[in-house]
Amino acid sequence: MNTGKAAMIHRRVIFGKSYDTEQLHAAMILLIPVLVSIIMIFIVPVVQVVLYSFTDMNINTGKWKVTWFKNFQFLFTDEKFGKALRNTAVFAVLKLVFDTFLSLGIALMLDTKIPLRRYLRSSYFAPVVVPVVASSLIWIWFFDPGVGPLNQILAFFGLKPLQWLYSEKTALISILMFSVWKGIGYNVMLFLTGLQNIPDSYLEAAKVDGATNAQCLFRVKLPLLRPIMNFVVMIGIINTFKVFAEVDVMTPKGGPLYSTALIVNYIYEQAFTRGKMGRACAASIILFLIIFILTTIQSRMNARKTVDYE
Amino acid sequence: MAKKLKTRGVNRTNWVVFVILMLGSLLMIFPFIWMILSSFKTVSDVYTYPPKWLPSSWKWDNYKTVFDMIPFGIYYLNSIYTSVVQTILMMGIAVCGAFCLVFLDFPGRRPLVSLIRSTMFVPMVVTLVPMYLLVSKLHGVDTYAGIMLPQVFSGFTIFLLVSFFTTIPKDLCDSAKLDGCGYFRILWNVVLPNAKSAMSTAALFSFLGHWKSYTWPLIITNKDKYRTLPIGMKYLVQESSSEYQVMMAASVMAILPVLVIFVIFEKQLVKSITLTGMKS
Amino acid sequence: MKKILVIALVALAACGFVFAKGASEASPAAEAGPKPELTTLKVWYSISGNNGKFFESQAQAFDEAHPEIALELTYTGKYSDTATKVSAAKVSGEAPDVLITAASQLYTGEDGNFTIEEDVKDAEFKFDDIQTGVLEYAKYNDRLASLPFGISTQVMYYNKNLAKAAGVDLEKNPPKTWSEFVTVASAIQKASGNPDVWGFDTSDGVWLIKSMLNQNGNSVVQMKDGKIEPVFTEANAIEVADFWKSLVDSKLMPAGQHDNAEKKFLAGNLVFVAATSNRISKWAGSTDFELGAIEMPYFKKQSVAMGGSTATIMATDYWKHDASWQLLKFVLNTDNQTAFALTSGYLPIRKSSLEMADVKSYVAGSELYSVAIKQLSYAWAYTHFAEMGSMDSFFWYALDEIERGVKTPEQAFKDASASLVAEME
Repeated sequence: MNTGKAAMIHRRVIFGKSYDTEQLHAAMILLIPVLVSIIMIFIVPVVQVVLYSFTDMNINTGKWKVTWFKNFQFLFTDEKFGKALRNTAVFAVLKLVFDTFLSLGIALMLDTKIPLRRYLRSSYFAPVVVPVVASSLIWIWFFDPGVGPLNQILAFFGLKPLQWLYSEKTALISILMFSVWKGIGYNVMLFLTGLQNIPDSYLEAAKVDGATNAQCLFRVKLPLLRPIMNFVVMIGIINTFKVFAEVDVMTPKGGPLYSTALIVNYIYEQAFTRGKMGRACAASIILFLIIFILTTIQSRMNARKTVDYE
Repeated sequence: MAKKLKTRGVNRTNWVVFVILMLGSLLMIFPFIWMILSSFKTVSDVYTYPPKWLPSSWKWDNYKTVFDMIPFGIYYLNSIYTSVVQTILMMGIAVCGAFCLVFLDFPGRRPLVSLIRSTMFVPMVVTLVPMYLLVSKLHGVDTYAGIMLPQVFSGFTIFLLVSFFTTIPKDLCDSAKLDGCGYFRILWNVVLPNAKSAMSTAALFSFLGHWKSYTWPLIITNKDKYRTLPIGMKYLVQESSSEYQVMMAASVMAILPVLVIFVIFEKQLVKSITLTGMKS
Repeated sequence: MKKILVIALVALAACGFVFAKGASEASPAAEAGPKPELTTLKVWYSISGNNGKFFESQAQAFDEAHPEIALELTYTGKYSDTATKVSAAKVSGEAPDVLITAASQLYTGEDGNFTIEEDVKDAEFKFDDIQTGVLEYAKYNDRLASLPFGISTQVMYYNKNLAKAAGVDLEKNPPKTWSEFVTVASAIQKASGNPDVWGFDTSDGVWLIKSMLNQNGNSVVQMKDGKIEPVFTEANAIEVADFWKSLVDSKLMPAGQHDNAEKKFLAGNLVFVAATSNRISKWAGSTDFELGAIEMPYFKKQSVAMGGSTATIMATDYWKHDASWQLLKFVLNTDNQTAFALTSGYLPIRKSSLEMADVKSYVAGSELYSVAIKQLSYAWAYTHFAEMGSMDSFFWYALDEIERGVKTPEQAFKDASASLVAEME
């Protein structure tokens, strides 16, 4: 039945562009579940968030009146919001760098001939499977300035004990340590899958041409990892700006001098501790715009450098 | 062939790399060792300075205490059930979406990409209340559907699949097209078999995402019958935040089965990676 | 494409509907119809662990005694999780009928729902028997909007082993005022000879500072012309802030470690800790050292701020409200309240409880609990108002700044006050 059809391609013009009708039909059916879920899970709630952001919606009473841009005005003058923005920027940059480069290095090393490979791979991924509630407890204990093992280890090397989560100087870095430990396995896994998907023939061809290991890495492996790399960075930007749980369990109320509060923690505090839903919605619109701008810049930069892997 | 895969790139064992990786892996698993050892400690072991690494006596009671405090079994089953179903649904939706974005041309493709990407920009914390409004209007409070359906869409999974689908050579599809395959058959017979490792990775990630999910299940459930493991864990923390040892016992029980599933799954994962490696 | 547009329009209409509905469905006046065969009550509470189980058993006894009422009991997590859950539920009209949590009266008080004032006229309830101080804690803007349920105060616990090592007998000579306290605490701290040992800390600085302010004649906030205004920038409040700073300066209290205070105490590295009275049931007999407690030190007058949970009726339906009242009346009767208090370490809210033989013998046998009971006579309830959550977070921040020396005590309190005023606009 199909064989006759395949040869001839029906086309249809929509908005001045011509499309293959068969592709259009397939897309129409396949996109139904996607669109329905986007509308229900994303568009409906987000429209409400936008509407709330122009009101003084109080979550405890459910009462609201329109206040236009007052929420945004408040945010731009609020000292805590400024701190949260700055903390988020610091945290995001550091986490992005560690998460991307450290995990790429580990993945490349895991892709060589070494004993115990399966064990090693699993060990790097293991922290990912642990619920944050459980793993954060272990780390809170580690960081405990009194009964925690980290200070014991520092003392062993003759170093001064640190206050870890209890000092404004080290609190955010401590959370970063925990966060990197917990999340790095994701990226290792992604890079490893990408590396394993590189066809053997490419590397063999390079070898035949007399390429050194370094050349193999920079000329073949890394360029071919580009799509995964782009993906990792994009997701990294999005996720680091949305970090919430780690901070909330390790340093409730924003930590020493509000030094660990990130934007989402700020949003949560406004909405649920202080009841200011309208303000929380306004803050999340700002967060949305920040992520939007950063990911757009990132995808523009990639578009210029995309490698053809055919 | 499979052997070849392991040895490619470098032909001899790289001991330097091995040592570095071993040291790194010690750092990674140290917290687990600590957790397991601590789950047997007594209260006074926990509060000794300098910290004791080994428990003074092996106290199994901590595990019993966990069961006394929360209906661990029910929570566990709920977690498994909701995570598995959500993963299946999420993968179904994501495969449809990713296939369209990569292999099909249709009007509104670019705006759709931006829209899907935007879904990832909004933190759950803010959509919590609007989402609750919607779900409660649809009578979803205290139902499995209410827990699961709001979490079946993930821009992350779609983009993950997109980035793997783009690595499938286009000529594979073109030749299938020439053989007279429709797009659904191309999806089923060409794309999916070639993206097994990507699919397993994506499924694993979404399973883990659901497995950990806390805030939404807490808000949307009132009955123990529907509650999941992270909620139970959180309650333990609140109840016995100063009893590290009980928390550690609960953590061990929460984590071990997942690790086992992961190790089994990982074998599959490696297998599928090997298969795709051979095909190309 | 058309399809997509249609779907999008329908969705927009749908959310408009949800939005409008969510907002307007605040409190439809209930019309009392005939009494239904079975009234199902949603009861949410944030009483955790064994105390929660004990409450459940009492509620179940009520359920069995009332075939026409069925209870759906839900433990909703700690106070902040409960707040999140109740907020989301309330906005969408799924609020519980009975809510037991910290400051539960905010949810009814803000709606101007003070029906509980009528309920308590029920002769069976014996309203006069409730302790007046405790009752204040259940008010919203000076009107009764809930009932006290699990009331606690902060108790000053101490490590008897450390005290004995310093040759101090606190049972005979407990320090009365804060200046006496500082002398004793630093003496014990020094005598320990251990640089890791601190003299004093509290697991909840915000709670303690409220007690201290009141002890020095400051009421934190006051009602003026029907509006709440902060008064903690007055001179007597700044004195308290300066005292707080001096605790850190004299190395008696570590800066910014309140979250770790109880662990430190259990590890034997803290002489005194001010913590909630329901630690009594948890800690008694389980610490590695002998545990003692003294009454809270004071400035000008004895006072401790109350904490804990209140119970409120959110049901608007006549029969549901009636059934909810029956439940509260039951769990708050003398026998049940007393049993709950003795099990949990919360304080009895009825005068008659204190006369019961059980209570008297328990108090006599427990040094810790007798301190808590003594404190009940001067326990103070601060005013509950809508922005209370915000105020607590400003206080938390101000104390952190004072302890870490970023701002002068006066400046920190002034800034907190200014933030609160702005928040209430």
